[in-house]
Amino acid sequence: MVNSLFEEKLNSSEFLITTEIGPPKGADISEMLYLIDLLKDKVDAINVTDNQSSVMRYPSLGGCLLVKEHGGEPILQMTCRDRNRLALQADLLFAYSRGITNVLCLTGDSIGVGDHKEAKPVFDADSVQLLKMIHTLESGKDMGGNDLKGIPGFCKGATVNPEADVIAPQLIKFDKKVEAGACFFQTQGIFDVAALRRFMQYATRFKVHILAGIIVLSSARMAKFMNENIPGIIVPQNIIDELANVEKGKGLKKGIEIAIRTIKAIREEKICRGVHIMAIGNERVVPEIIEAIKVPSPL
Amino acid sequence: MEALQIIRSDNPFPSVCAYICSHPCEEACRRKQVDKPVAIRALKRFAVEFGGDRMVRSEAKTIFPEKNAIIGSGPAGMSCAFYLRKLGYPVTVFEAHSEIGGMLRFGIPQYRLPKEVLDGEIRRMTGMGIEFRTSTPVVSLDLLFEMGYQAIFVSIGAQQSRRLGVEGENKPGIVDAITFLRETNLGLKPAIGENVVIIGGGNVAIDASRSALRLGAKTVNLVCLESRSEMPAFPTDIQYAEEEGVIINYSWGVKAILGKEVITGVELKRCVAAFDTDGKFNPAYDESITQVLLADTVITAIGQVPQIPESYGLKTRGSTILVDPVTLNTNRKGVFAGGDASSGPATAIQALANGRLAALRIDDYHRHRYPRSMEEESKSSIGELSSQTIQAIRKISRYEPPLVPPEKRKKVFQPVEKVYGWETAAEEARRCLRCGSGAEILFPDKCAACLTCLRVCPYSVPRIDQNFDIQIPADQCQACGICVTRCPAMAIALRKPWDRRYIDEEMERYHQKIKITGSKPLIIGFCCQYGLFGTSLLAGLWKTTGAGIWIIPVMCIAKVESYHFLKAFELGAEGVFLAGCGEQCSRENTITEAKAQIKRARSVLAELGFDINQLQAYLPEQKDNNPEGTPEKWLEEFIGHVGSLHLKSLLTVEEKVDRSKSETFK
Amino acid sequence: MIVANQKPLNEIWGMVAPYRRVLIVGCGTCMTVCGTGGEREVAFLHHALRLIESKSDQSNHIFSEYTIKRQCEPEFIEMLAEKIQDKDAVLSLGCGIGIQAIAERFDTLPVLPGVNTSIIGMSTMQGVWLEHCVACGECRLDETAGICPVARCAKGILNGPCGGTKNGKCESNRDMDCAWILIYKRLEKLGQLDKMRRYYPMRNFQVIPRPRRLIKLVAGGNGDGQLSL
Repeated sequence: MVNSLFEEKLNSSEFLITTEIGPPKGADISEMLYLIDLLKDKVDAINVTDNQSSVMRYPSLGGCLLVKEHGGEPILQMTCRDRNRLALQADLLFAYSRGITNVLCLTGDSIGVGDHKEAKPVFDADSVQLLKMIHTLESGKDMGGNDLKGIPGFCKGATVNPEADVIAPQLIKFDKKVEAGACFFQTQGIFDVAALRRFMQYATRFKVHILAGIIVLSSARMAKFMNENIPGIIVPQNIIDELANVEKGKGLKKGIEIAIRTIKAIREEKICRGVHIMAIGNERVVPEIIEAIKVPSPL
Repeated sequence: MEALQIIRSDNPFPSVCAYICSHPCEEACRRKQVDKPVAIRALKRFAVEFGGDRMVRSEAKTIFPEKNAIIGSGPAGMSCAFYLRKLGYPVTVFEAHSEIGGMLRFGIPQYRLPKEVLDGEIRRMTGMGIEFRTSTPVVSLDLLFEMGYQAIFVSIGAQQSRRLGVEGENKPGIVDAITFLRETNLGLKPAIGENVVIIGGGNVAIDASRSALRLGAKTVNLVCLESRSEMPAFPTDIQYAEEEGVIINYSWGVKAILGKEVITGVELKRCVAAFDTDGKFNPAYDESITQVLLADTVITAIGQVPQIPESYGLKTRGSTILVDPVTLNTNRKGVFAGGDASSGPATAIQALANGRLAALRIDDYHRHRYPRSMEEESKSSIGELSSQTIQAIRKISRYEPPLVPPEKRKKVFQPVEKVYGWETAAEEARRCLRCGSGAEILFPDKCAACLTCLRVCPYSVPRIDQNFDIQIPADQCQACGICVTRCPAMAIALRKPWDRRYIDEEMERYHQKIKITGSKPLIIGFCCQYGLFGTSLLAGLWKTTGAGIWIIPVMCIAKVESYHFLKAFELGAEGVFLAGCGEQCSRENTITEAKAQIKRARSVLAELGFDINQLQAYLPEQKDNNPEGTPEKWLEEFIGHVGSLHLKSLLTVEEKVDRSKSETFK
Repeated sequence: MIVANQKPLNEIWGMVAPYRRVLIVGCGTCMTVCGTGGEREVAFLHHALRLIESKSDQSNHIFSEYTIKRQCEPEFIEMLAEKIQDKDAVLSLGCGIGIQAIAERFDTLPVLPGVNTSIIGMSTMQGVWLEHCVACGECRLDETAGICPVARCAKGILNGPCGGTKNGKCESNRDMDCAWILIYKRLEKLGQLDKMRRYYPMRNFQVIPRPRRLIKLVAGGNGDGQLSL
């Protein structure tokens, strides 16, 4: 059974493009609404992040609701950092009831990297356990073994890091996530296409759909900052150098150029199913990137 | 001075020993296992000369009635007299000569033992109540008993020289060494020619050769049967003799003394072996190998024997008096013998020890105690240093006492060796391993086996035994005191009290002083005694600032704990410092430990609003040209800093007072 | 070892200031080993408090010291009875257990905590303890090659590693090793990587409900060594 429009697209053979929006820190959602409108028709789905980097923000569930209401296809990013199993299950039921059925299951960044360093980290489940949890709900029961009145259905996804410095444990984790029911993966930022290729050689043993994560950098300083502080992101030195060598103010242009170049390579070689563009604060440039990578339709 | 008191409690004339002793203690010194033994003799001389000897009294009271007579005022006799007197007996020493001292005066040259030193000790003994009767040879022991003496100690020494037994021995120009030395030491300047040959390989021979040089001989040849390593003389003295110009001819025997009316030379024959295969003295010669030494004077020093009067009625064994090894009794009741007279020629320290033993045995005799066998010096109850410990111990070369250069010293009878200065004495004394006074877990019930002592010990000494208890082996511990200050349960203490300079007690004394007199310290300083910061600094301090700086002497800064600093501020000090030997400290890690304690104290001080520089440490990185400056300079700056802080606080008070004053005038 | 840190000095002074006669009680076992509350620290604290008092405008405090072998045994706590008689408050340098035990036995006196009890720690070198166990009650060290993910993974996850590990270090603390990389390496060494491939369901946080009580009588008695409510 196909649980969402996005799942349908996954089952096709199109080159898919997703992107993400980070909700605001506050009750003013005007910017977010603007971005939703900007992007909803240009991408196949929009992720809404969940207190990303452990920084407190407007909830991803609320953001996904807005995406749905405005006619876009949302992907709910759900982390295990802030909610225990009761809250997670409850939120999933709500999401399903509002047509939000794409879920990206994440363990969540640690509290220490965020802006509420004294908060209690929950981690009642991890990403694999969350995938199983969703599977359990889909089978008609909750985690306490009780029957559900009204059974939800989801399109489950998870993340993977093909550029991890020690790849073997990542592959073990990847296997477990696939076994637990993940059908699509959005990877961490890809800068080295060869690494992606190697990973894909392994990943194609499974019938899962991989979307390569593409990060739009805006300066060498930003790249370095991300290396130091953002979990899961590793920007290689050659990219940093490339960014460092441009004139002041032209960093973003360079970042866009790098992103386009990477996506084109992936698309031309058909390395994986698509890309997931993470513009982190520069969401407005996403349409420009999408435009640049369009394959001209045969006329 | 404390050192001197300890020395004097066990040694009747330490100043004499300080000059001439053969220091068997240095052979046993455990520092030897690391590098060279501690220069104990030289340090004792330092203690004697700088320890305020005049202020250390030797006193004795008469407790018992039994009178004791001692025949011969050499080292054995004087030692026996000293100890008998200390035990409470009346003592009279009979000396045939006009001067007191025996071989110490007549046998040992002035450049080894100056007369004044010996006289000083003799004066001390007279001051104790020992009666000396000079120019009084004792002819009959019965007479002494009739005079009322109940015990007699015969210590007449061995003053009769052996004869060579070679052709030409009776010519003029030959003298025996004992006579020669006696005349030299009495200042009589015996006549010697230009080319002197001394026969013999012992200390007497060496003394005779060096004296001959000083009396003006042009060449001095020493001839001995033994090889260099077999020579019985002290190796250092042999070396000094050679430096001064004595030519030593090893492995030669005397064939004949040449010359008709006067001596012209000495004919020597090669000695192929001085000792036989059993190790007994049994010279073997090769008469075909000979040489002739030019000589106009020959001094014989081939051994001495005691001159025992027949009238004494004492049994002998060979040439010496026969004594019971346990009681030191001779064949006559109440007559004891010791020193060279019973042992044959030996060292002064052996005579001294023997005299002491005799005194104890005579005491037993008077008090009717069962004669027990000699209490052996406790066999070394302390083990060897492990190689691990030796590796960790800082190697410091031995500071030899300074010597007068040979060209200068061979002309005069002044002492050859100079005494240490304060700094060198401290530097040499630091090399001591403090055997046996190390740490022990005094309260094993408090020990939580936290393993801190094991981890902080720079010498890896504490061990875990089979029962998981911690043991601190006494034979490895270097008594640095670090584990004592670090033990979280305060379960460890140092064994010997003199190393445990109780800082708490000193501070309590100051506390009382403040309560009673109301005076307060401006600055309190914890000063390491090994670096002489108490003594030399103090001298400087009284000059510059006078009162206001109170010193707490410590035996190594490793013993000072962070709470001591807090206490010092609590006593009212405005500044507190710690002065230590720095890089010269003979113990490892003391600097890091001291700095850690200071850091801890400073964290508390900072919380309380003190300036952390009110607590500082002077730990010089090197001996000279230290970047921190001399101790005096550093202290001046520290005082200045503390003073200005103090002044600042006073000024703010004054300002307030002034302002209120000017206001009232308005 | 239970490891604790001494509280900051002004915090202790703040607690202690209202009381005149204060008994500082140390603990001779865990708190001695971790260098926080043994006899030496009691002495140091005593002097520090006296110094604070001498610099303040108060002068009426009387501090005394006593270290008992452990503060978690009623028999040892009983030995405080005599010393405590004339006191106005107790400042305990024992762990949270000890502080509460003293407070329970001598419930007419305020008992103040001088330390912050923090971890069950493994000593790696002098002065350094690492939290390797959080007493979860569900030990699974056989599955993870003797390395506890509950204690040593910043997120405490059972299907690790997460995506944030970089250079074998944890995303939240670059000086901390990623426990799951350590587990992976050691399982590989033991030839037991199949254990890591297993799916581990969510933890049972009710294994030992809080507050928890473990009854185990050693000689005689009727305990059966099982956990119970």
